[in-house]
Amino acid sequence: MMTFLFIALIIVALLLRQRIVVILGFVAGWCYVVWGDGELSYVVMDIWAAADQEVLLSIPLFILAGNIMSQGSIAKRLITMMRVATAPVPGGLAIATILSCAFFAAISGSSTVTLIAVGSIMYPALIKAGYSKNFALGSLCAAGTLGIIVPPSIPLILYGVMTQTSIADLFKAGIGPAIMLTSIFSIYALIYNLKIERGDFQLSEIITVAKKGIFALFMPVLILGGIYSGLFTATESAAVAVFYAVIIEVFIHKEMNFTDLQKVIIETSTMLGSLIPLLMMALSINTFLAYEHVPHGLVEIIQANVNSQTSFLLLTLVGLIVVGCFVDIGSAILILAPLLAPLAIAQDVDLTHFGILMIVNLELGYLTPPLGLNLIVAMGVFKEDFWIIAKAVLPFLLLMFIGLLIVTFWPSLSLFLL
Amino acid sequence: MESAKNFLDKVYQFERAVAIFAFSVMTLIIIADVIIRKIAGVGIAGAMRIAVYAMIVTALISFGLASHKGRHLRPKFADQLLPKSWEFQIISVQESLHALFSLVFAIVSIGVVYETYLLEETSRMLRIAIWPMQSVIPFAFIVGFIRHSLYALYPEIRLGDNSDMANQEGLSK
Repeated sequence: MMTFLFIALIIVALLLRQRIVVILGFVAGWCYVVWGDGELSYVVMDIWAAADQEVLLSIPLFILAGNIMSQGSIAKRLITMMRVATAPVPGGLAIATILSCAFFAAISGSSTVTLIAVGSIMYPALIKAGYSKNFALGSLCAAGTLGIIVPPSIPLILYGVMTQTSIADLFKAGIGPAIMLTSIFSIYALIYNLKIERGDFQLSEIITVAKKGIFALFMPVLILGGIYSGLFTATESAAVAVFYAVIIEVFIHKEMNFTDLQKVIIETSTMLGSLIPLLMMALSINTFLAYEHVPHGLVEIIQANVNSQTSFLLLTLVGLIVVGCFVDIGSAILILAPLLAPLAIAQDVDLTHFGILMIVNLELGYLTPPLGLNLIVAMGVFKEDFWIIAKAVLPFLLLMFIGLLIVTFWPSLSLFLL
Repeated sequence: MESAKNFLDKVYQFERAVAIFAFSVMTLIIIADVIIRKIAGVGIAGAMRIAVYAMIVTALISFGLASHKGRHLRPKFADQLLPKSWEFQIISVQESLHALFSLVFAIVSIGVVYETYLLEETSRMLRIAIWPMQSVIPFAFIVGFIRHSLYALYPEIRLGDNSDMANQEGLSK
């Protein structure tokens, strides 16, 4: 009876447009007070315990570094570099679009910011160069999603915090799938646009534009190189990223002053203000579930009904695709990662690999109606109808699904650097 | 209504100032710690603890910034299920429930902080009392209660939810 009442209240809360933080706070309170013979004060204690972790420091720092680097003309510099470098290749401009998105995502740390920054320059350029509108829309929306798998990725950090998995390992594990997805998109772009006229190879021009974009390109190398070589922890590399971003934007590119920096800090703080309270509430629910041995019970149920790792992985894929259509990636990770992780362990799936496949899986949610964030953002940026964009991304969704299957059933692709 | 808007604007200015200060402290101390540790081999004692407390203050103060800018995440798939003509009432109920949520958590968290104060809990590394840092929890919820109560009374003064989709992605990467 109480369970039905609980579900009914959640549905009412959704109808009454409650924010996720309120819903999670209600769930946490209900768990402790109704199901756990506890007190509401336990939730507040969990909130404090959840926030009081050094590992969380990397989140604001990576977001800040990304926001700083996204302010200036880095997108323009990267795009120019990629355009010149890919000019002699068939479909060069399309490949440049995808590579620009991948590199900008690694720097900016944001899928939608990538879509806006690269898309606003490349969409008119692609149309002018004779690429089809459908291809231009689809490639920009799809390549924009690379932001969440290319390290440093906030969803990967959230997954690491929720499942106690090494964030440095998750970053390393994200590299293989990110390169694989970028390659799949690029090969498709090349094949699809074989007939489009190509440009000339000009080494001097490549060197000129590389000089302008080299500092931006060096950022992911610095972050990942630092982590991979063992020189930095995830938090340390985040601090170095902020320091580097400030030096580049304020002193080298001179595209930012300290007033702009203040605005970026406020922007980042506002993001934190919506993210960290969610994380706190989710961790409180997680603590309750662990205390009540709920994950253990789930493991027993799944083990009794799912008899192979493959069936478990396929079930997870289908479930996460459905979830990704309706729930944003951050909330999905905060709620589902602690529940799914014990099941993955029980099925002998490596937790780092599971994190990567979960993120790639939820990445599809950026492109699926009705709530695909990149579709909605693209509507505004490219002034196109929602369903035209949704149709344009279909081939890319299929490619991403193929990529997802590869990531899921080829763990070495993620784990080869560990 | 105008005075409610002015009041909330002042609260926002205060939250903004605290957030910038706390965020700057957090960032600068970690950067200083990392640089000194890599050069001298020993970092700043307690730097990470100070940074964590500064982050908590930033995050909870910014809970209000997110409310002010309409940036709290909200699932929208059920938005079309109720009649459009109920819009005004739905927003009032939405904000009232958020205010109630904040009030309940404000009261409970005051109790928790008071308990920490009575128990004289301290940070082992910094050897300072924890309760002043913890006080940001009830503060955030009290301000949340006031802000969302005013939004319930005067829905015109609030920004819509997810008002800036492009910036929603703090959660996405």
